[in-house]
Amino acid sequence: MTGLPVADRGTVRRAVGRLLRRDRRTVVLLLVLHAAAAIARLAPPWLLGVIIDRVAAGAGVATVDRLALAIVGAVVAQALLSRYAQYAGHRFGERAVAQLREEFVRSTLRLPVSVVERVGAGDLATRSSVDVSTVGSTVRDVVPTIVICTVQLALLFGAIFLLHPLLGLAALVGLPSIGVVTRWYLRRASPAYLAEGAAAADLTEALTATADGARTVEALRLADDRIAHGTTRIDRLWQARRATLALRTVFFTAVEASYPLPVAAVLLVGGYLLHTGTVALGAVVAATLYLQQAIEPLDRLLQWTEQAQRGFASYARVLGVGLVPPEPPGGAFPPGGGRLVVRGARFSYADGPDVLHGIDLDVAPGERLAVVGPSGAGKSTLARLLAGIDAPRRGSVSVGGCFVTDLDPAERRRRIALVTQEHHVFIGSLRDNLAFAAPDASDERMRAALATVGADWSAALPDGLDTLLGDGARQLGAAEAQQLALARLVLADPHTLILDEATAALDPTTARRTERALAAVLAGRTVIAIAHRLNTAHDADRVAVLEGGRITEIGSHHDLLRAGGAYAALWRSWHAEPRDTASGDTDRPHTVGRTGADR
Amino acid sequence: MPPQIPHPDPGSPNLGGPLRYLWWLVRCQPWRVLRGSLLGTAWMVGLSVRPYLVSRAVDDGLRAGDMPALTVWVAAIVAAGLGLSWLGILRHRTMTFVREDAKARSAALVLRQVARIGAVLRRRAAAGEVATVGGSDIDWTAQVLTLTGPGVGAVVAYAVVAVVLWSISPLLALCVLVGVPAVGLVVGPLLRRLDGAESVYRQHQGALTARCGDIVAGLRVLAGVGGRDLFARRYAARSQQLRAEGYRVGAVASWIDAATLAIPGLFLAAVVWLGARMTVTGEISVGELVAVYGYVATLIVPVWFLLEGSHQFIRGRVAARRIIDLLTLTPDDVGGPRGGGQRPSRGVPGRASGPGTVPDARRPEPAPARPADLHDPVTGLTVHAGRLTAVAADDPADAVALADRLGRYVVSDVTWGGRPLSGRPLDEVRARILVAEQESYIFAGTLREVLRTRPGTGDERITEALRAASAEDVVDALPAGLDTPVDARARMLSGGQRQRVRLARALLAEPEVLILVDPTSAVDAHTEARIAERLRSARAGRTTLVLATSPLLLGRADTVAHLRAGRIVSTGTHLDLFHRDPDYRALVDRDSADEPAEPYRGHP
Repeated sequence: MTGLPVADRGTVRRAVGRLLRRDRRTVVLLLVLHAAAAIARLAPPWLLGVIIDRVAAGAGVATVDRLALAIVGAVVAQALLSRYAQYAGHRFGERAVAQLREEFVRSTLRLPVSVVERVGAGDLATRSSVDVSTVGSTVRDVVPTIVICTVQLALLFGAIFLLHPLLGLAALVGLPSIGVVTRWYLRRASPAYLAEGAAAADLTEALTATADGARTVEALRLADDRIAHGTTRIDRLWQARRATLALRTVFFTAVEASYPLPVAAVLLVGGYLLHTGTVALGAVVAATLYLQQAIEPLDRLLQWTEQAQRGFASYARVLGVGLVPPEPPGGAFPPGGGRLVVRGARFSYADGPDVLHGIDLDVAPGERLAVVGPSGAGKSTLARLLAGIDAPRRGSVSVGGCFVTDLDPAERRRRIALVTQEHHVFIGSLRDNLAFAAPDASDERMRAALATVGADWSAALPDGLDTLLGDGARQLGAAEAQQLALARLVLADPHTLILDEATAALDPTTARRTERALAAVLAGRTVIAIAHRLNTAHDADRVAVLEGGRITEIGSHHDLLRAGGAYAALWRSWHAEPRDTASGDTDRPHTVGRTGADR
Repeated sequence: MPPQIPHPDPGSPNLGGPLRYLWWLVRCQPWRVLRGSLLGTAWMVGLSVRPYLVSRAVDDGLRAGDMPALTVWVAAIVAAGLGLSWLGILRHRTMTFVREDAKARSAALVLRQVARIGAVLRRRAAAGEVATVGGSDIDWTAQVLTLTGPGVGAVVAYAVVAVVLWSISPLLALCVLVGVPAVGLVVGPLLRRLDGAESVYRQHQGALTARCGDIVAGLRVLAGVGGRDLFARRYAARSQQLRAEGYRVGAVASWIDAATLAIPGLFLAAVVWLGARMTVTGEISVGELVAVYGYVATLIVPVWFLLEGSHQFIRGRVAARRIIDLLTLTPDDVGGPRGGGQRPSRGVPGRASGPGTVPDARRPEPAPARPADLHDPVTGLTVHAGRLTAVAADDPADAVALADRLGRYVVSDVTWGGRPLSGRPLDEVRARILVAEQESYIFAGTLREVLRTRPGTGDERITEALRAASAEDVVDALPAGLDTPVDARARMLSGGQRQRVRLARALLAEPEVLILVDPTSAVDAHTEARIAERLRSARAGRTTLVLATSPLLLGRADTVAHLRAGRIVSTGTHLDLFHRDPDYRALVDRDSADEPAEPYRGHP
């Protein structure tokens, strides 16, 4: 199972470049503003140095007042400049993040279904939640901080150089050791913090699952098991936290021990220069104060670099989704639809053995075909081939003479709808949950569709179609969600419907009522229904029995009963006829001529 | 001195209130907390050493042109820096241990509570609430303990700086000592406002992330019915809304940030001004002026710590309150006493007694020594010991309610061996009567772990149970068989597969009485027939009740009862009822009544 691609470093760099270029003027403006703010920030220590010099030279109170007022001015200037710099940066970040996440959603929605299923929901879900928000906070908070800190540090060290080049050189003394330990730390930090986050999520998950399954825990007396399970999670989280603590222990100790080194060097060099008379006392004092000032941005820079690194990695995963080649646009749907024809279709998942061994099937427009058979016979696989989600390894699936996989994907989905027992209720109102199937449908039509599928509960909702569904709002049960899915189908009014156990979550009585109501509404549509309840087969025009990847029988319910083959045995056993052995005696494949028009 | 985590026994917390709970977390590790306080203090005080040393280096070394003195002071600066970094890391480690001990202890308590509280949790505390407690409240509560280390240190450091400043100039000392906290008090609320503005933004952002996850989760549905463009547009519209909201927050946030920069800066300027004038008049030396500048900068650290700490304290109290609420949740009243109540709480109010509560709740009546009949007076159903009974209910809700009564998940007048079920020890009831419901939870783990709910269940028994549930193909289809990891709720399996795994698990639990609610509703006819046949032999000689309307299952039962409008209206064998109870026939006949019945051979 191969996962979704991850963008390489070059691609990520180019994407970052594009983000910056798109907003070139803002980027330049905010760099200039930040630099100006940082320069204003340099003024107070320098002015303090000047004060010291002037006082030492015997200056009066008036001079001190003037210089102190200058400090006030510098502080105000710094505050204003950094305000506008931040605001510009903030707006830039918001724009970039919005762009990013919209692009991600567009790419996600473009993903071919087969890819989504192959990679599983987990990877994509992580990218959509963790990675998108990590990139978001990186662009919004981390990058600006890094920009500010870098500009500040550059100017602080630059200022020390301006005071005297030798003082500047002395100020760099602590940097090599900080650089070495930072490299060491960064190489280990990201995986360690990710592991810590994962361990924390695991513990929360252990607690939530236990709460979710509280009744099961009580019924099966699993309390001790669950406690033991949760305790291992507590232990793992502790181990993960100790690992990150060990990293911090080395990193913080080394970095903090490096901070006094440049101060010491500047004081010693300053003492020498003072002695030779090349600098004033004020300059040396200002240099030490600048170094003091440098600690804060340096600290922040070091703390955020790890985040930036993680943001970069997340961005690579976010961009990776866009690297999946989209489904190629295909041909138009044949007018009027035409027959659904399967010829010699074989299919296997990945490199596994064939699941379908040469399926031949003809479904006339407007026909209702039921597919029955034991689990694992390949019914769902056949449904996917018919819907064009997968292409057969050999053979063909066509509608009106066009291969279904060649049709335009969007068009195909609208015309050939596949409803499985897997249902999903989208966050939003009941209307939102219906409208995407038929954007122009009136409220009346929506209510009618809900009534058709027996969703009586919908009439009792407090806010009608505006009732919010999903997490944190009204949660639908499995049966209700399934009815919602069927109501969508009624609204979408596709040319061909493939129902893969689409009523399995309903209780038997409701299921049958719903299926009949559906049939009435969908009269004239081609319906292929896969079902474990044989009522469905009984109500269909024809029944196909799929066993071991082959169609072993096909014909109308009555024909197949009369033929006395596997279906007849199944039907009898399903009715619990007392003397039946209930074993599907299928040694003699019974093939009935195609009776598509036999109604 | 790292703590021993996980705690074998987290102890009995004081649940009398959030503060008591927090204090209990401290009392569990008194020496570690003391060590944290000492290190926190030493480190905080140490922060003000550097400005002092620098001022001495300036005054005694640079200004005096005394190179040896300068060298000494510089050496002192380096040594102090090394010492400070060492103190800092020791403090950080100790405080991390203090917090981790508190977190692990709270987590252990919450874990024990959610594991033991039982069915009540699903109704009373949504799983989301447990997620909040587990995901953030435990952390917030532990965060409060930081106050015991750097918090104590901050107070001491403040006092030390006060003394030093006083020795330089009482006037300057007063200014700084009053000014720094005042600056904090002004800036603190500003930051809180920023937090408020951002929390709205974060909420919207969380909602947008949820939308994105929602789209990902629903991709297959969108693929089936269409609507991708609509979702892309809708998401983009919301994303733009969030961007606009972000602009608004940015406008406010940048002003607040500027203020937090300007206010301390202006205060520092004022102090420098005052100090410089005093230097002119010779009241203080140049070195002292530099030191004052440094002290103001260092004093900001403890003051911030205290402000931040008070903020954390407020949040931690709320979080601790939520933990306590969860820990004091009491189990459902199911009549009679709850056995094995290892409840960690103190001062939990006594359970209110319901209609079915036995008067002497303290001493339960012993459970019947051997398998005994269960009788439900509400419906009139009797489940005979050692037999396979089936109930066909017109209304599925009635069947669920019946199972709840027989399994004692509600207060009822059900009798077991002729005596009230609610009077028996609950532990024993749970051990001997199992209600296997449709939606019973499947925990993540390997398939073997999912199935094996009793220790010492061998693979042979598992294989047997899988066969009885006709679930061998589920295992065969999994890449690593029984060792394949299954996700929570077994979402990776189909509905029919899940149902059979649940059935196999219930069979493996080998309860004396097994109550199965609609065990085959999601499986195909072939499989259903096999299950009906094998279930009977798997449960031979033991009490089993099946609630279903499938003729396949009903046909295999010793006795079938028809539950109509809340009462058992007829009892007999399946064939018996099929002939003499037309309503039963209409209910279970899979040829719906509105169709002419299919005349095939041997139809009863």
